[in-house]
Amino acid sequence: MARMAAQAARADDPVTREIIRGKLLATVDEMGIVLARASMSPVIYEVLDFACGILDAKGELIVQTNGITLFTGTFGEQLASIRRRFGDTIRDGDVFMTNDPYEGGTHTCDIALIKPIFIGGTLEAFAISVAHWVEVGGSVAGSISPDAREIYQEGIRFPGVRVCRDDKLQQDIVELIRINVRLPTMALGDLNAELAAVRIADTRLKEIYAKYGAVVVHETYHHILESSEKLSRAAVRALPDGVYRAEDWIDGDGITDEQIKVCVEVRIKGDEISFDFTGSSAQRPGPINCAYGALLSAAKTIFKAMVDPQAPSNEGWFRPVKIICPPGTVFTARPPAPTGWYYEGSAQASELVWKALAPLAPERFSAGSYMSLCGTYIGGRNPATGEMFVHIEPAVGGWGAADNRDGTAALIATTDGDTYNYSVELMEAKYPLRVRQYALNIAGGVGAGRYRGGHGAIREFEILGDEAFTYCGMGRSIEKPWGLAGGREGSNNYLDLHTNGTHRTLSRVPYVALKKGDRVAVVTGGGGGYGAPRTRPAEDVAADVKNGYLTPEGALEDYAVAVSSDGRLDQAVTDALRARGA
Amino acid sequence: MARLACDIGGTFTDLAFFDEAKGELVVEKSLSTPRDLTKGILDAIDLAELATKRVSHFVHGGTTVINAITERKGAKTALVTTKGFRDVLEIARGNRPDLYNLRFEKPTPFVPRALRFEVRERCGPNGETVEPLVLADLDPVIAQCKADGVEAIAVQFLHSYAAPAHEAAATAYLRERLPGIPVTASHEITREWREYERANTAVLNAYVQPIVLRYFATLETALRGRGIQGPLAVMQSNGGTTSFAWAKEHPITLVESGPAAGVNAAALIARLTGEPNVIYLDIGGTTAKCSVIEHGQIKVTTDYKLECSRINPGYPVKVPVVDIVEIGTGGGSIAWFDRSGALKVGPVSAGAEPGPACYGRGGTEPTVTDAKFLTGALDPEFFAGGRIKLDREASRRAMKKVSDGLSCSIEEAAVAVIRVADADMINTLKLVSIQRGHDPRDFMLVVGGGGGPMHGAALGRELGVRETIVPRYPGYFSAWGMLVTEPRRDFVQTALTRASDMKLERVRNLFADLVREAEHYFRSDEGLKTDGFRFDHAIDLRYLGQEHSVTVPVNIESASVATILDDFHAAHEHAFTFRLADTPVEFVNFRLTATAKIATPALKPINAEGRSVAKALKSKRVVDLGDDGRVEAKVYDRDLLPPGTVLDGPCIIEEASSTTIVHPDQQMRVDELGFLRVAERH
Repeated sequence: MARMAAQAARADDPVTREIIRGKLLATVDEMGIVLARASMSPVIYEVLDFACGILDAKGELIVQTNGITLFTGTFGEQLASIRRRFGDTIRDGDVFMTNDPYEGGTHTCDIALIKPIFIGGTLEAFAISVAHWVEVGGSVAGSISPDAREIYQEGIRFPGVRVCRDDKLQQDIVELIRINVRLPTMALGDLNAELAAVRIADTRLKEIYAKYGAVVVHETYHHILESSEKLSRAAVRALPDGVYRAEDWIDGDGITDEQIKVCVEVRIKGDEISFDFTGSSAQRPGPINCAYGALLSAAKTIFKAMVDPQAPSNEGWFRPVKIICPPGTVFTARPPAPTGWYYEGSAQASELVWKALAPLAPERFSAGSYMSLCGTYIGGRNPATGEMFVHIEPAVGGWGAADNRDGTAALIATTDGDTYNYSVELMEAKYPLRVRQYALNIAGGVGAGRYRGGHGAIREFEILGDEAFTYCGMGRSIEKPWGLAGGREGSNNYLDLHTNGTHRTLSRVPYVALKKGDRVAVVTGGGGGYGAPRTRPAEDVAADVKNGYLTPEGALEDYAVAVSSDGRLDQAVTDALRARGA
Repeated sequence: MARLACDIGGTFTDLAFFDEAKGELVVEKSLSTPRDLTKGILDAIDLAELATKRVSHFVHGGTTVINAITERKGAKTALVTTKGFRDVLEIARGNRPDLYNLRFEKPTPFVPRALRFEVRERCGPNGETVEPLVLADLDPVIAQCKADGVEAIAVQFLHSYAAPAHEAAATAYLRERLPGIPVTASHEITREWREYERANTAVLNAYVQPIVLRYFATLETALRGRGIQGPLAVMQSNGGTTSFAWAKEHPITLVESGPAAGVNAAALIARLTGEPNVIYLDIGGTTAKCSVIEHGQIKVTTDYKLECSRINPGYPVKVPVVDIVEIGTGGGSIAWFDRSGALKVGPVSAGAEPGPACYGRGGTEPTVTDAKFLTGALDPEFFAGGRIKLDREASRRAMKKVSDGLSCSIEEAAVAVIRVADADMINTLKLVSIQRGHDPRDFMLVVGGGGGPMHGAALGRELGVRETIVPRYPGYFSAWGMLVTEPRRDFVQTALTRASDMKLERVRNLFADLVREAEHYFRSDEGLKTDGFRFDHAIDLRYLGQEHSVTVPVNIESASVATILDDFHAAHEHAFTFRLADTPVEFVNFRLTATAKIATPALKPINAEGRSVAKALKSKRVVDLGDDGRVEAKVYDRDLLPPGTVLDGPCIIEEASSTTIVHPDQQMRVDELGFLRVAERH
């Protein structure tokens, strides 16, 4: 009893608030652990395509854990949609399910569960978990059809349904899922994993409320939001007031190679900032469209990167932000537009905001990157086992240079996160494929600059079976990663195809049949440079030649540095060249 | 005859000496001497006035390997690899755990691109040769290594875990032509697949090897100079020892040498107390380390990563390492305020130099140890056995930074620092156990390290463990652990096979090969006196389509393929909550743990003679226990408490290397082995 009295006295104690905040963060971490442990799908437990969060009774995000960035801004919209739909019928023991891109979601594969948390009969919070299910039905296995023209081809859609009542799964809905998906065991396994995650949040929140009392916990919620908002506003205030624009082109929608114009106007005034995407192209027939929730995530991801990349995310950080875009654009598609490949559109929205803000806060950003996950599918029949196989892999690529160092080579794109590439040894043991090289893409080059971009990668496969195919969808295949502060552009992503004695370079491939001995190389681009190339110290250029990142010809052409192929610098010639400005 | 163990830590060099004739254990501490670590050992030997000539068995643990890596002081290293793959070391796994950092920097590879060489050769996943090795490709490599002053070389070819012949041939070729330059072949360190991880492991082994060779040469000379006879052994990261000679060739296996000994000792305590499930927490100067012991066994994995954190992918090292999680909170962790004004503790530490402000060695930042001191938990005259006099004024000056920030008294600030530090440790300990599929409430907490006993009872209460155990000599726990550790080596062989194609005979043959290798390994250690060997078999299995696997122990005498599969389904369900009965299963890795049985000192019950609670009572002092308020606590001398003593909290138990704090509503009992066992009073 002595202990309880001591704690009650600490109602406005900042240390107690900090300890509760720590417990809330540990709770969302635990949700993530529970979800990943119980999930049957490698997309969840290996690619970490999931997120968990806790929102307060008003619907503001208090804590979140993310495996990838794509869910940065979706929770609030999804909860708002559930509350609009269910209003005051929300009861203790309910759990709601939604995967509708048009109700705050992303694509149909991402299923969110939302559990209202009641403590002593009062609605205190909401726990939410979202995860990518491997299969939700639709026109192709995996539910992400590269040439879908309507969302109906992308599987079953839950607009927001009460999947639990009195804490029991509604068997009707379970059966509805079972009959609509190709891998029901896995889908229902993931449903249970997500359910376990929101339930553990319920248990932990009840412990926290019991120990500290509602007043102190509310105070902590308030403090979390307010302290983040304060830092966020200070960061915006530090930026010069004004209107900043960026535009870019999406290199095709999956169906055609027609370039799609997108743009943003960033308006900063005092401690408020708005991102206005008005003027971006109309929604497309292909699946590259984003709905509004995905756009929020895309813009908030970059804003968070600017104000404080490492601090835990909550709604407070985003209070100074307004995101504007009329309905019906490629970023704010309306039904029934398909959104399966929304992550490619979302990457473009992120890069737009990034491009507009980078000159204002160079200490937080780098130049343009290879950007696209370059998702490539290689499949067919395994001649050894007779079984069908599909190898699906996002590719790593070059990132842009920063204002104090070269760009990072061969790194996963912004939309993903702690996502691993596939081991060559594991892959060759599993599939009838031989990797001929896994190397940096030196020939493609990087954006030159005072600091240069990082290199992309080449993953070259040789097909060992006679019955095989490939398809892929790559962005940044026409437009190049942008340079910053006088740095040059990086290079493009593409698929290099050697089949039947012919050689082709492609970037959006619906389906190509392959035979034994054919070769497919996934080639990703190098990042953009930062600062004028001629200001790069000659020794750094020489070191790049010595390390084989750059040829002596490239050194001369891009940097006006004379260096031998083994990396010896000719200072006199270099001085003369640079003095001439030639 | 006697056994001697030395554990070199960041702050102290600990020594444990067991005289077999007298059955007596002597412990001693000296300050570590980073410039010449051998000196710290000799200092401790001198302080303890040891009869070193009686030492017939020496065990060493230390930080030479991990320091060389952390401080980037290793050798200039080259890598020779398969044509087409020299960039694998730089591409790494391409992951970006620091999600929102748009300036993310990958860990820099330990070999620059100019020193990563390719040769023509290629093997396939079934061990088949796809393209023969062209040895002539090594000639320009040799010339370049000479020209660039390369000091160590790693060789790693694709699929060498299954087909080591090319790698072995290239390594032999290089060794012959580059005498004096150590060459590491990846398959000599690990036989597991994953090319990046194996390459990085071989590279790090090569990187530290020249340093380790010099270090062991110096140490050996110094020890022999003191008349120490018999085999010299070193603690490996797998919770077993090996000879100096073998460690010199495989130095990367020493990467977590010190902490592994502590975990091993905790497992022994689990077995001694009949409490098989234990969470072990060692709170040192810079960090705390925690490990989960189940069924009295340490858990050893090959998933170790150096410098890995929430925002850093780290460097994978595929050698067997005890499953340890590091928490950035130790005695030296510094309290500070983040940008939003929230109080944080760690991960920055005052380290050994200057150490906490209260050490009076120039430290000006408020640390956890300062906070403990200012709340009354520590006796200024009796810290580290009186070796360090604590400076109250320096400590208060440092803590003022916290009290100013919180607008409170210095005493309240100290309590706040402890609350935040304890909360961080609790959160991590909970997640560590949950991640491994456990509920802390089913476990005992064993605390070690100088700081463990000070925090143990409070952490144990919050975790809800059944009991918190403070072993004897908690401040020498790793050194003591080394005395009771047996020689051990872990073998692993990847052999991917579908369960439907797997025959029991193949399982047996694969293990028989590993057993032969193990016997050969122990035979080559001439100084080893053993009472026989123990072999523990295990297999990694997975469901088709998964990348990760689950390790299943196998009784090789009675197992069949069917029982192995049954065990796998059950183990998968325990670890991941589900099984996939209809999905094909794959055998992935075959693991053999080989232990040489040797006589180790037994821990004897403590003697009641000359001890009593009355004699043990030293004084009373006021201590602020945060949530439990300010209380007056009796202070006891641990060495004078008889077995069977039961004391109600609050009380403080002091000994030379540590201080145990028992909170109100807790009860502490001294068991027959002299362990302090703290539980909630009901």
